[in-house]
Amino acid sequence: MVVGIPKGLLYWKYGFGIEAFLKELGVEYIISPDTNRDILDRGVNTCVDDACLPVKIFHGHVHWLKDKCDLIITPRIMKVAHREFICPKFCGLIEMLKNSIEGLPAITEAPANMDTREDILRWLMSVGKLLNCNRREIINAYKKSLHFFENDAVGYNDLNYPLKVAIIGHPYNIYDSYLNMNLKIKLNKLGVGVITEENLQREEIEEKIKRLYKKPFWNFAKNSYGAAVSFYEKRAVDGIIYISSFACGIDSVVTELIKEVVDDFPFMVLKIDEHTGDAGMDTRIEAFCDMLERRVSYESKCSQFGEYSISCKGII
Amino acid sequence: MKVSVPNLGNTALAAKALFDSLKIDYIFPEETSTRTLEIGCKYSPEEICLPFKIMIGNYVEAMEKGADTFVITGSCGPCRYGEYCELQINILKKLNPKANLIVIDSPGDIGKDELIKRIKLISDNSPLSKSEKIKAVYNALKVINAVDELEKSLRFKAGYELQRGQCKKLLYSLKKALKDAEHTKEMLDLLKYYKKVVNDIPVDKNRHPIKIAIIGEIYTIIEPFSNLYIEDKLMDLGVSTIRSLYPSWWVKNMLMSPLKLQSLDIRIASREYLPHYIGGHGRECIGEAVLSQRQGCDGAIQIFPFGCMPEIVSKSILPRISRDKDFPIMTLVVDELTGEAGYVTRIEAFIDLLERRNRRCII
Repeated sequence: MVVGIPKGLLYWKYGFGIEAFLKELGVEYIISPDTNRDILDRGVNTCVDDACLPVKIFHGHVHWLKDKCDLIITPRIMKVAHREFICPKFCGLIEMLKNSIEGLPAITEAPANMDTREDILRWLMSVGKLLNCNRREIINAYKKSLHFFENDAVGYNDLNYPLKVAIIGHPYNIYDSYLNMNLKIKLNKLGVGVITEENLQREEIEEKIKRLYKKPFWNFAKNSYGAAVSFYEKRAVDGIIYISSFACGIDSVVTELIKEVVDDFPFMVLKIDEHTGDAGMDTRIEAFCDMLERRVSYESKCSQFGEYSISCKGII
Repeated sequence: MKVSVPNLGNTALAAKALFDSLKIDYIFPEETSTRTLEIGCKYSPEEICLPFKIMIGNYVEAMEKGADTFVITGSCGPCRYGEYCELQINILKKLNPKANLIVIDSPGDIGKDELIKRIKLISDNSPLSKSEKIKAVYNALKVINAVDELEKSLRFKAGYELQRGQCKKLLYSLKKALKDAEHTKEMLDLLKYYKKVVNDIPVDKNRHPIKIAIIGEIYTIIEPFSNLYIEDKLMDLGVSTIRSLYPSWWVKNMLMSPLKLQSLDIRIASREYLPHYIGGHGRECIGEAVLSQRQGCDGAIQIFPFGCMPEIVSKSILPRISRDKDFPIMTLVVDELTGEAGYVTRIEAFIDLLERRNRRCII
């Protein structure tokens, strides 16, 4: 039996855990390749057209895997922590896949709550049963793979660059370099280092969230908002870039909340969708970096209105 | 304090009944118009969904008439609606520093004490005794249930009426009379009177009109402006419409949910296609599509605002229901740029299709 792991959506968070679990069980598995043009096209052709780009790409990965394996692991992640959910599309992902892709092999359908260890075990148990493993084997494999589930990804933190920007967004938008058109490499080439939210302490993010009128119930919203605000307040970066997929419901709220706080601090929202031309994207990134450079070299030396306001007074 | 609520179907009428009998100043929200939408779009984030924009427009128009406190409900499902309050408070404070937004949220999310505190913010302005306040809430519930019930039967009878346009005329005169009523007692009397009138509408029972179920996102199907008055248009075409998501349904659903007894029929019907709650009313949409087919509808129309997350999931499931049950379902996506002509063409084409299906030769 061959198991397929699609390299999309929360693979970037839980993929290593799932891989370690399968390795421990001694099950043969394949991972779909990094996102490429072929996978994007497959996704766009199969998925319902209103969905966002990451969901379409996930469909592409599953489509690529469907003839190559007997079971595809598609976690239906309902929540990641207590009262912290993800987007509704994750909860209905299985139904979307089943109704959009023809000739699908078996897929994992059980809901996966990632908030406690028991819940992780319960989900792995349901996966293990589909692989015909017995209880003891599953518990053993679970124990050995648990730390992969609980540890966050390392994240980016570039040192030795003259400028630094924080990249904020959902993990699959940040780490899938085809999806974000090699944003990190492009920034590095322009002499800008990159830092992501994983470099912040959990407590720091929690503390920022308390200021909101209502605690956001989306895990992504909490992390993105908390991270952007603490980077801004510590002035740890020169600017913030938010990668957001077109028509993302969560981002439409979070970017507004961040804008409310950062005021005139450099903040850019990069929209990504299935168009593959990257000239427009390059222009925006270059313009943003130019702006950061000039801000550092000119703006800090004099007040924004100082000289000008005096001369104005003179005229009046 | 002058209270107002955003428009949502007949809820403005129920709120009128509630605040009038509580003796709290209440501003009846202006009927949503293109101007409302324009104002809403001006102040709202670009990417947010249509209900948010219309609600902001409602607030601004009510503030022009002197309102300063708005009451909305919250939610903590993974749908965007639950985050509305956060952004709306920011926008309202910028427009009018005195404005106040009271969010009635579920106690599981904000705690029981906070909920009681928020309700007190409203009820402390009323000079009545506790029992009278409870009576006022009870009367408001009575009003909303009765209005919704009347609207439901008028929309259904539209296909059977002998005198073309009678149902629609009656519906509008009912709403106008309720809006102009001076106190709750008068509203309840009016409802009683109209109930009799509606029951006595002459109908042709031998006719077989097209029956269409309206399913989808709750705001866009309840608030007629946001779906460009689709139900009125269908009434004009002599089509009976069935819709079960009314404000009174929502109230009942919310009251039953702690006991996990809410909308059992929908849950059972949707189990085959969508066994989990995915936020918003995605599961209800699926359940209703299945139920309406069983009830003998000719087709269903799903309506949702652009970018609505739960409804995108249901949109991807509906084609399978359509295939399995041989049941036509059309999806209409609305946003602030929806043009009326294209929209009407699609509705008319859908009705034509349903008519031809009924006429087809079976041999």
